[in-house]
Amino acid sequence: MKQLAVLGILAVLIVLGVKCAPGQHDEGGHNGSHHLLEQLKYISVDSLNYEFSRFDQVDKEKLVQIHQLVEGAEQFLIPDRMAEMKSYPCSNCHSKSLEALQAGKAPGEKKSHWDIEIVHAKTVTMQCTTCHDPKNFNLLHSLTGAPIEFNHSYELCGQCHSTQQKDWLGGAHGKQVGGWAPPRVSQTCTGCHNPHKPAFEKRLPARLNTEWLK
Amino acid sequence: MLFDLFFKTRKPVEEDLPQASDGCGSGNCGCKKTPEPTTAEPDGYDMKLGKTMNRRAAFRQMTAGLLAGAGMVQASCSATSTGDKREEGQLKWEEYFKKNYRLMTDEEKSKTVERLERLYEINTGKTINVSTNGAVENVLYGYAFNISKCQGYMDCVNACVKENNQDRSSQMQYIRIHEMENGQLNFDDADDNYFHEVPAEGHFYLGTQCYHCENPPCVKVCPVGATWKEDDGIVVIDYDWCIGCRYCMAACPYDGRRFNWQTPEVPEEEVNHTQHYLGNRLRSKGVMEKCTFCIQRSRNGKNPACVEACPTGARIFGNILDPNSEIRWVLENKKVFRLKEDLGTEPKFWYYMD
Ligand code: SF4
Ligand code: SF4
Repeated sequence: MKQLAVLGILAVLIVLGVKCAPGQHDEGGHNGSHHLLEQLKYISVDSLNYEFSRFDQVDKEKLVQIHQLVEGAEQFLIPDRMAEMKSYPCSNCHSKSLEALQAGKAPGEKKSHWDIEIVHAKTVTMQCTTCHDPKNFNLLHSLTGAPIEFNHSYELCGQCHSTQQKDWLGGAHGKQVGGWAPPRVSQTCTGCHNPHKPAFEKRLPARLNTEWLK
Repeated sequence: MLFDLFFKTRKPVEEDLPQASDGCGSGNCGCKKTPEPTTAEPDGYDMKLGKTMNRRAAFRQMTAGLLAGAGMVQASCSATSTGDKREEGQLKWEEYFKKNYRLMTDEEKSKTVERLERLYEINTGKTINVSTNGAVENVLYGYAFNISKCQGYMDCVNACVKENNQDRSSQMQYIRIHEMENGQLNFDDADDNYFHEVPAEGHFYLGTQCYHCENPPCVKVCPVGATWKEDDGIVVIDYDWCIGCRYCMAACPYDGRRFNWQTPEVPEEEVNHTQHYLGNRLRSKGVMEKCTFCIQRSRNGKNPACVEACPTGARIFGNILDPNSEIRWVLENKKVFRLKEDLGTEPKFWYYMD
């Protein structure tokens, strides 16, 4: 009698054990939302030797390396903006500091760059000299006055837009340049956003699907 | 004309099926997964007509083959036809009897490509370049779409149509951009045919296209094995093997496939001449097509045309097996979701927000 009871309990336990064993729920990809992502964690790729790189699509000479080091990426390159800017260096026109320039202006005389409208935060927060160095127009500067080159303006933007900067360094924000293979080449902030008016503008879509209207 | 009709509507016989394991009438048919390199490969004639089969099957095939061939034979044998016409007939004859792409040897692949390139040259005087590049090792392509970044500009759609030689007259498009009200994700109320300034107040935009599912239902239903998933995860179609039954279109839960109800029209000056056999080469009437992650570009390290055209950087593409790729960072660090995840189709196309 006693033996039978023990056997019975054992049998029940075995059946339960089999039913509840971990890993038995997995029925070929139907176990929720992260199956492929789960698998990715365990796939290790030993060699990634592509026959191509982003340098096939973009000229290496027109790129510069960013200052931050990104984990995993040996290189993180952005377009060389200073080489593209038409009237750089700014000191070609503006040889004096802002103070001296303003002092020398006749009453009512037009300011330089009067046509630039700033739609970027409120004026109590930002003005021209928040980003531009009033003493040296060839440079930008940080909130504490440290010089920043035009090529590395992301250091300036990242002071406020830190989440965007994190996404950009990781790869979720900012347009990929030159393809998908290494090395990392991305647009920098000012490649897509006008720093004086950073929001994307409204416009008509690129096409109208007339055939679908019938 | 007659030829064209038969060319497009021919039904592959059982022996053509790549999955059919017991359909082999003789050792000479094309159903072996691995072609024998030692013996001379049978040509189209041997594959179709030079094998043992019962009389009824033989008659059925011969009638179909003869009818279809009549046009080609006429073109290739007629004493009056010009040299080009003769050559065209000959090429079409050989094209008609080619195998499913997956069964072709490298040599057969390069031969069909040569024929396709030559046929285009005869017909237009222009040259095309059709690639048969295979999957790059250790690559599984994945895609991420940032729904907080997309502004609904549709530059991606234009770039895709241009890159992939889609039919201009029916305005075929692989990508649809759905305008949705903030706070909802409802395709019934979404507008994918808007024409007003974008982004519209209180709306967001979500793009759909083929998701290249890891577990693609469209592939399972194809009765002739004309669509499959490549090693790099790209789901492709052999346009010359598709019989146009549209089962795959019905099976796709994501509206990923497009059908050619008419002969696609692409003005010659707009044709993208850099093509891939499984990608953007010109299709004919009655066959299925869809996004191929721009296989002709992605297998050379380039981004798909939509990624390159997007002015907002809302589209991220790359190798999800590379732990240092941008796409992998998105998958590991952003809250990503896919559509109809409960179906178990495992799309390799994720959505995320800033
Ligand atoms: S999205 Fe549709 S067409 Fe594309 S692989 Fe998945 S099921 Fe097939
Ligand atoms: S329409 Fe789709 S299912 Fe039918 S043959 Fe073509 S690829 Fe296969």
